[in-house]
Amino acid sequence: MSQEKSPLLAGVQAVIPLVLGYFPIAFSFGVAATRTGLSPIEAFSLSLIVFAGAAQFLAIALLASGAPVLVAGLTLAAMNLRHVLYGPTLLQRAGVHRATRLGWLWAFALTDEVFGAALGALAKGQRFSEGFMMILGFGAYAAWLAGTVAGAWAGGGALDAWPSVGAGLDFMLPALFLALLLSILSARQVPAIVIAAAATVLGTWFGSATLGLFAGMIAGAVAGLFGRKGASHAG
Amino acid sequence: MRADVVQLALMAGGLTYLWRYLPLRISLGDMPQDGILSRFLAATGPAAIATLFVAEMLPLLHGTQAAQGREGVGVLAVILAFAWRKSVVFATLAGACACGVAAALGLS
Repeated sequence: MSQEKSPLLAGVQAVIPLVLGYFPIAFSFGVAATRTGLSPIEAFSLSLIVFAGAAQFLAIALLASGAPVLVAGLTLAAMNLRHVLYGPTLLQRAGVHRATRLGWLWAFALTDEVFGAALGALAKGQRFSEGFMMILGFGAYAAWLAGTVAGAWAGGGALDAWPSVGAGLDFMLPALFLALLLSILSARQVPAIVIAAAATVLGTWFGSATLGLFAGMIAGAVAGLFGRKGASHAG
Repeated sequence: MRADVVQLALMAGGLTYLWRYLPLRISLGDMPQDGILSRFLAATGPAAIATLFVAEMLPLLHGTQAAQGREGVGVLAVILAFAWRKSVVFATLAGACACGVAAALGLS
């Protein structure tokens, strides 16, 4: 049986798990950013403007490697291209309650987890409203900014005395990529994923890390064009 | 502030915002599911994330056996945690915690 709550209450309830999860990851980002030479204000600016966890971790890695800004920017944009599907999916689920008057605002905070939490709430009977989306998105955004500030303030050397914690935080980025990959995995996308992985390995081994990134993304995306039609429900 | 950081933040942030907002304005949800654009967009995300995961893991092949061991524990924890809760945040934190515990237990 579905239970409809007020947008405020439903938003607060839905955002609590996101806040608890986002804060430590953002803390890790703040530490990692300052460890690679960014100032606290630069780390904070990335969180303030971009608000996309995995992309931000990759941004500091690309900045540290000296990758050209254009290459780095396009890599991050390609990585986040999956976000184009989130808004339409939510509006489709919203049915007669779909609304986009404030879409220009809440769309800013439509991250993977905000999308997932919103979708979960709608599936449980919560009525779509822009107020609900605002609370959910900007509650998560506040936690992300707070975590970044705390991590950047603690500084890159904050974990020198705790190498185990440092090892865990160092693994945060591959863990995040793997979890994201699992979350969008379907049988239809397996060829694109396998080809992307193979092209990344070959590009990296026979060229450079930057070539590997480009080769993987382009080969995988092109492979999607030749995938089987009508197999979207598999997996 | 470094100019490259500002430029990268504006470029990545601006394009990411467009990916999130524009589909609300142009009814992207109405496009055919088997169309070329739809299939390209659907494949780009998984391809990009698979690429980034592989790129992150490749340097581990040259790491110490202990480092490979704790990263393997982390990968396993992510898979199991995701299978259990279907949450990206939970799986990420579980993987990082498992890797940290493995390091504390001597895999460092």
